[in-house]
Amino acid sequence: MSRVIQIFSSRRTWAWPYVLFMALFVVLPLILVAVYAFTDIDGHFTIRNFAKFFTHSEAIQTFLYSVMIAVFNTAICLLIGYPAAYIMAQEDFRTPKVMAMLFILPMWINFLLRTVATVELFNMCGLPLGEGALLFGLCYDYLPFMIYPIYNTLQKMDNSLVEAAQDLGANRWTCFWKIIVPLSMPGVYSGIVMVFMPTVSTFAIAELLTHNNIKLFGSLIQDYITTTDLLNYGAVLSLVLLIIIGLTSFFGDNNSEGEKGGMI
Amino acid sequence: MMYEGQMYEVRRNSGISIRRYIGISIGLLFCLMGFAQSKLTYELRMAATGEVELLDNFPASYAGEKVNISLYDGGKYEPLRYDEGRDTVDFIFAHPGEEDLSAWGDSIFCYSESEEVVWTVWRSKKEPKNRNQRVLVTNGRNTFEAYLHETAESHRSHGWIWFVFAGLMLAAGIAYACYVITERRKERGLTPVEQETLRRKRMGLRRHYFSQMYLWLLLIVLYAPIALIAVFSFTKSKVLGNWTGFSLDLYANLFTGQADAGLNSAIWYTVIIALIAAVSSTILGTLAAIGIYNMRSRQRKVVSFLNSVPMINPDIITGISLFLLFVALGFSQGLATVCIAHVVFCTPYVVLSVLPRLSRMNPNTYEAALDLGATPGQALRMVMLPELWPGMISGFILALTLSVDDFGVTFFTKGSGGLETLSTFIYSDARKGGLTPELRPLFTLILLVMLTVLIYINIRNSKQRKN
Repeated sequence: MSRVIQIFSSRRTWAWPYVLFMALFVVLPLILVAVYAFTDIDGHFTIRNFAKFFTHSEAIQTFLYSVMIAVFNTAICLLIGYPAAYIMAQEDFRTPKVMAMLFILPMWINFLLRTVATVELFNMCGLPLGEGALLFGLCYDYLPFMIYPIYNTLQKMDNSLVEAAQDLGANRWTCFWKIIVPLSMPGVYSGIVMVFMPTVSTFAIAELLTHNNIKLFGSLIQDYITTTDLLNYGAVLSLVLLIIIGLTSFFGDNNSEGEKGGMI
Repeated sequence: MMYEGQMYEVRRNSGISIRRYIGISIGLLFCLMGFAQSKLTYELRMAATGEVELLDNFPASYAGEKVNISLYDGGKYEPLRYDEGRDTVDFIFAHPGEEDLSAWGDSIFCYSESEEVVWTVWRSKKEPKNRNQRVLVTNGRNTFEAYLHETAESHRSHGWIWFVFAGLMLAAGIAYACYVITERRKERGLTPVEQETLRRKRMGLRRHYFSQMYLWLLLIVLYAPIALIAVFSFTKSKVLGNWTGFSLDLYANLFTGQADAGLNSAIWYTVIIALIAAVSSTILGTLAAIGIYNMRSRQRKVVSFLNSVPMINPDIITGISLFLLFVALGFSQGLATVCIAHVVFCTPYVVLSVLPRLSRMNPNTYEAALDLGATPGQALRMVMLPELWPGMISGFILALTLSVDDFGVTFFTKGSGGLETLSTFIYSDARKGGLTPELRPLFTLILLVMLTVLIYINIRNSKQRKN
């Protein structure tokens, strides 16, 4: 008994249950994705699934299309979100948090419900559902993820640098491009990661916004993984997605996860 | 000969006069779009409910079956395309004689809602000639002949929305033009220096108003779909976007439990799963945070990386990997697997919200408590917990939110036993082509509660700042 107490009085061991839990439910499943990708239905090793992916033009096309949509969406979110974050950080509101909170509040409504309402809005305005609707809906869903990190970095920025630049004769434009933009880059990076990663893997939004006429990579994975005999092929597709996500988070900023928590 | 100042004057004048017309021209553009839209789609959608007259008994298990529907014209119509493997079916009608298939409806959504069959004809570009269409329904074994009735649920196009936009833009343009003209008048008879200060002041103001306008425009767009949900929560119609008069019935249904049984159980499951996931991830995460904080730097790095993996992974990957794990282990998927999955992606956030509290706290107090004869349990309860409490609370709330909001992970781990949370319920509902109407009041209430909390926090903060 005393030994047990001794072990637990070393507080380092308190993380053990969590580490065990994570090993079982995070690391092992990810390994399993790879295992399933390299086996056939009977559990024998095979690389036929990969060969199928590289010769399966629908999958490749969908994949490229999804990446393209994600890039477009990220760019649009950045173009719309940066000015908004900049304005919010600049303006000296008496209660400065209100605006930022108003931008985050829609996230409390279930995103699928918001998507359905967007579809209805498009119907009411007589706009066709398609690529345009898809981009609008994605941008609408992920814009807060872009605004919030940029707003955060801009707000924490040392304003004396801007003042110094102005004193030294920089006009507004130079000051913006040479001082504010470089200083806000960490926020921009995490914003990009936070918008790009969910967009490239989204599956329900696209389906609802286009009446299933446009298929994104996420929907394709969902289709295959829920079909029993194509499960292994689905695992290959997930592995491809996982690689993209890994690359993005490798090149992106590590702070993005913390930001997501900060938002809510 | 021209002075430098004169040139400057000329250039600025031309700039302003162009700007003056921007608002007006955008307004005109919207006006044109309004006209174009109203001409293009005078009948956007026709939803006909109920009263399908059949020659044979209609199959009860209609939703799961592959069904062909075709317009009835002596049996000469044939369906062009329909999606297999979905519980709703899209159709495009082919007519041997006609080239343009979208003549009156280019696709049909159909599903059965209890015994009555709901047909929604999406986006018909022209008004149907015959409102009581005869259709053929086949499910592979039998063919049924049916009438498609238009009912009160059908509604006309909303091209007028564009006119509202156009009107607003026009008004804004005219107001801006008037503003510029009056400001120019004020400048008359002033010295150049006074004019310049006035201009500077005005430029600042203009910048302020433009940036404000940008933010508000963005907010309007962001809230438009939500406003749609909120507004239509006060009417009884089944279809979102169809006003059938003011009524509080949906709210009453929600609270008296008369709403769809699926919705009720989805709400309960969502609450139960969120509570279980939040409580267990708070306990697990707090312990883990204490452990991680006391680790040596290398160990710490490894565990921190492990901690960030579920946060980096998108839902679909977390969901699929857990799905594969449960398949491989032979777990039957249901409430337990969903809870485990939720704990997986909630705990990292708890860890991250507790860690800062730990680094702010004096590390010696815990040791001191042990030295003074407290057991580790007592020391944890009486020394550490009070310090960590705020971090744990925020982690708990975070976990609750994430769990309630989650769709991707739940979708893959819920199994096929009929377990639905709100997200997956909405998804399967939306796929069928319609939303359960009671969802509208539910989310309106959630939004109102959140808004109230926000306003309350703001008032409290501003009061504290004053003190």
